[in-house]
Amino acid sequence: MEQWLLVSIIIAAYLLLTLTIGLLAGRRTSDSVSGYVAADRSFGLLVMYFVTGATVFSAFAFLGGPGWAYSRGAAAFYILAYGALGMAPFYWMGPRAASLGRRHGYVTQAQLVTGRFPSKSLSLLIAVVSLVAFVPYITLQMRGAGIVIEAVTEGHVPLWLGAAVSYGIVIVYVLFAGAMAVGWTNTFQGIFMVVTAWALGLYLPFRLYGGIGPMFKRIAAERPDLLTLPGLTGTGEPWSWGAYSTFIIVSAVGVMMWPHLFMKAFTAKDDDTLRRTVILFPTFQLFLIPVFLIGFSGLLFAGQPQAPDFILPFMILETGLPAVVVGLFCAGALSASMSTGDALLHASASVLVQDGVTHYVDLDDRAQRRLMRAVVVLTGGVAYYFALDPDSSLVQLLASAYGVISQLAPPVVAAMYWRRATTRGTMAGLIVGIATAAFFYLNPELKPFDMHEGVLALMVHVPTLIAVSLMTPQQDENHLKGFFA
Amino acid sequence: MNLKTARGLTGAYLMLATIFVTWPGVVPFARIEPLVLGLPFSMAWIASWIAGLLPVLFLLDRVERRYRLERQDQEDSTPGTDR
Repeated sequence: MEQWLLVSIIIAAYLLLTLTIGLLAGRRTSDSVSGYVAADRSFGLLVMYFVTGATVFSAFAFLGGPGWAYSRGAAAFYILAYGALGMAPFYWMGPRAASLGRRHGYVTQAQLVTGRFPSKSLSLLIAVVSLVAFVPYITLQMRGAGIVIEAVTEGHVPLWLGAAVSYGIVIVYVLFAGAMAVGWTNTFQGIFMVVTAWALGLYLPFRLYGGIGPMFKRIAAERPDLLTLPGLTGTGEPWSWGAYSTFIIVSAVGVMMWPHLFMKAFTAKDDDTLRRTVILFPTFQLFLIPVFLIGFSGLLFAGQPQAPDFILPFMILETGLPAVVVGLFCAGALSASMSTGDALLHASASVLVQDGVTHYVDLDDRAQRRLMRAVVVLTGGVAYYFALDPDSSLVQLLASAYGVISQLAPPVVAAMYWRRATTRGTMAGLIVGIATAAFFYLNPELKPFDMHEGVLALMVHVPTLIAVSLMTPQQDENHLKGFFA
Repeated sequence: MNLKTARGLTGAYLMLATIFVTWPGVVPFARIEPLVLGLPFSMAWIASWIAGLLPVLFLLDRVERRYRLERQDQEDSTPGTDR
């Protein structure tokens, strides 16, 4: 049999298995909004650990990570630095949000913010901000899945078809089973990703260079510019320290503000499960090391992939691995894409309906769930439209989304920790922050020290929040009691 | 160790980690040689800060857990609170 056909069969089997797990998991959850959005608050440690890891690491890390190591060298180290730093404060914030969620019945982070700062328009603003950031993120995942499938089937299954089939499956299990399916498929996919990344990341340097040390010695001799921090830009110029440092900061601030990650606080069975997930998170973070090794191993290799994002499938195909192994590695890469994509689709629907629509239209539980399912299909369709654009790069897509999503951090922190914060202060800060981020995104040449627009926006956002809050009257004591017991 | 110290030290570790993986803290360590476990020095440097977070969070959790248990015992033994 031809290699690409065998690989396709393995991938098809993998996709079928994912679908089965997703649908079986859905039968265990209750038929309510709380069941669909928060899986009846029932995830134990094993599921939480892999859900979180698999959700954080997506096609961005699995394909974009090696792509960056390959084309921009040490610049990729920023991806290694931010995750665990951003996750650690969640040791305290997670249980706090969870306890407020149980007390007031919150299932999204906008509900938490607007529970403290009652305002319909604030809720709508957060819903819109989340959606604006979600679409490029979902686009990136679909494109990643399409890239992998097109590459390993040698073009027999083009990007548009591969993305459509893999995301068709994701949409089916998200539609029918909600958070429970996302949880169990991610556990399966998380294990798959970790094993695949370590196996390939260690195999390639040994196979091609006789070890990790010898590989880096050769790169250091032939391309020292690539191994010197802060690495290179996409076009091969030296990258700036300002951009490198602020990419780390904006990502650390923003990472837990993604609604699909923050909502994990509401899906955890108990606070100890949440805390343990945070404690163990650095172990997941180190999985980026083999991911980078895959990219670095391609540097001195003869031949070039059609774009840096293709380096992982390129290396798998070019090093003469047996078809079964190729198929399994591709399934690992698909896992990375789909395990984040499903959570994103699920969260975008929850956020838009819970935080946007229900404030303006009165819907019963049943109608809400039906509307959420419609939104899943709609968001998927919009993202798919953009995924077919050949000019989009995986990392660029996510980097722009972080500028927006990091603006949710000040409102969330203020809602939980600062008694003196007011609704007007929060609203003013958020509007000014988003405007600043948008301005520098559109005028990158005006950015001081080449800093990320999200960090520049936070520098305006936080002082505005504080100043306006102090100028407006403090919230009612009785209202505050519900948040600061 | 009491709760305040544990929280303070964890916070301090997070601050130091942030400083030492970004400009200007990372500059003295932005070197290729010597290779550590085969990895470029700067990559190993960043990875160690991440790996170090594991024991820090683990110790913090031990202190936090003891404190939560103590508080629960106090609440349980307070007379007049029916639960």
